[in-house]
Amino acid sequence: MADTPSLRLRTERWLERRLPQIVVLPLFALSLFFVYGFIVWTAYISMTPSRIMPVYDFIGFSQYDRLWATPRWYVAIKNLFIFSSLFIAISMVIGILLAILLDQRVRAEGLIRTIYLYPMALSFIVTGTVWKWILNPGLGIERYMREMGFENFTFDWLVNSDYAIYTLVIAAVWQSSGYAMALFLAGLRSVDDEILKAAAVDGASPWKTYTSIVLPILRPVFLSTVIILAHLAIKSFDLVVALTGGGPGYATDMPATFMYAFAFQRSELGVAAASATMMLMTIIAIIVPYLYSELRKTGR
Amino acid sequence: MARSTTTRRKIITTAAAWAVGLLIFFPIYWTILTSFKTEAQAINDPPLFFFFDWTLENYAVVQERSDYMRFLWNSVIISGLSTLLGVMIAVPAAWSMAFVPSRRTKDILLWMLSTKMLPAVGVLYPISLLFVKFGLLDTRTGLVVVLMLINLPIIVWMLYTYFKEIPGEILEAARMDGATLREEIVYILTPMAIPGIASTMLLNFILAWNEAFWTLNLTAAKAAPLTAFIASYSSPEGLFFAKLSAASTMAIAPILILGWFSQKQLVRGLTFGAVK
Repeated sequence: MADTPSLRLRTERWLERRLPQIVVLPLFALSLFFVYGFIVWTAYISMTPSRIMPVYDFIGFSQYDRLWATPRWYVAIKNLFIFSSLFIAISMVIGILLAILLDQRVRAEGLIRTIYLYPMALSFIVTGTVWKWILNPGLGIERYMREMGFENFTFDWLVNSDYAIYTLVIAAVWQSSGYAMALFLAGLRSVDDEILKAAAVDGASPWKTYTSIVLPILRPVFLSTVIILAHLAIKSFDLVVALTGGGPGYATDMPATFMYAFAFQRSELGVAAASATMMLMTIIAIIVPYLYSELRKTGR
Repeated sequence: MARSTTTRRKIITTAAAWAVGLLIFFPIYWTILTSFKTEAQAINDPPLFFFFDWTLENYAVVQERSDYMRFLWNSVIISGLSTLLGVMIAVPAAWSMAFVPSRRTKDILLWMLSTKMLPAVGVLYPISLLFVKFGLLDTRTGLVVVLMLINLPIIVWMLYTYFKEIPGEILEAARMDGATLREEIVYILTPMAIPGIASTMLLNFILAWNEAFWTLNLTAAKAAPLTAFIASYSSPEGLFFAKLSAASTMAIAPILILGWFSQKQLVRGLTFGAVK
């Protein structure tokens, strides 16, 4: 190593002092380059006339005009809105009910918790494939009910363009409500027993205790669960591809599949980049302030 | 919460919890079950719930037709290497953020997490361009790098929450006793950090294993992992349900088994440290 001990010692001291910064650096650089670098690139491409391959002539915002003149884009946004609000609301309601249920000291709780969480550990591709089968009118629930004797039972949401979007909600809720449960259960466990005893002494009914004492305490858990579920909803590309393929027609298109179709199948890279930029801006506007306030508050 | 209960209530709630559990588990159970049926039994009327002649024929057909082992091997390599690589980069960084926090630590964590919130489609095009340029399309190397980058924020965050739990006083005491940085890391930090690192690796392995967006878009045949394998079976409608089930079962079995034996870590990992 070094020639003189003093030099070696000095380098070692310097290293000890600087090491914390040095080891964070590659991480910072990687995410800077790979994520934000590419986002800037995409944002720039949205202001060029790129079609099949990227070109770099600046043309201003005309790709955005074209994007907002595309009916399919409105379908995608509407779907994202329907899907995410239903998905988040239903997963939260089921999640909190299951959490309260598990909080009643059931037997083998750890085991049940794992089963509730299992769907979350599976790939969306598997989830989509399994549900595609269950929801298929000729093979799944509909056929089963008809064989049970309900001749007129109809459940064709998967192939009905007005209802196909709700099949995505069903599959996604199945995947994520156990997850919401786990988050709420952790929150319930952190509620101070003394408060509940006090409520019981004052004669509050269980319903009253939950609605006016426990749930308000869980507010931070609600917020973080909403954020996590929202980002799952926004990223739901795999599930759409596996379950409906965006169909029938483009009835279950989402912004993510819209982008994909325009960039890779219809050779409208500029429009795709414009839609990507719209999405990113929206997410940044919603999520970053939240994350920021959360991290500040918890004092980490 | 409300934890003093009577025996009767306990039985009722336990039964209810298990009923819901069975309901949730049913699609998985049905998939596994169907994989052991013949195609005729799979669409039998009425559905067969348990009593039928179990057959392994579907597994043989699936293996023969699409070489399951090759996909499995790709999945193992890609998930394993991207996890290892990610942890190697993340451990020093998380260590530094947890034990030597600076004014910027919070901002860097926020920065890292924010990248995870953005939809991947937004960066797919530039990444595939790069892949084409460097000849990385349909290679395991390319996927290892991409999956490592995608999951890096989660690895750092997980490790950070684990490292935060290691009491700093121990380190101070060691420093007082004159331990050097290297001794501190080798004899004190590492033994205490190993469980956290192991859980993080488990979670990340599962995430990488399930990753479908990047694997489907950046591979074709050679480097395709199990997610692509399932996707290739899910397209033909109708008659292949037993085979599709066998394929799905083979793809999820490693996760189900791994998850079962590491329930605690799975729960904590999937909830990003919120549930311990």
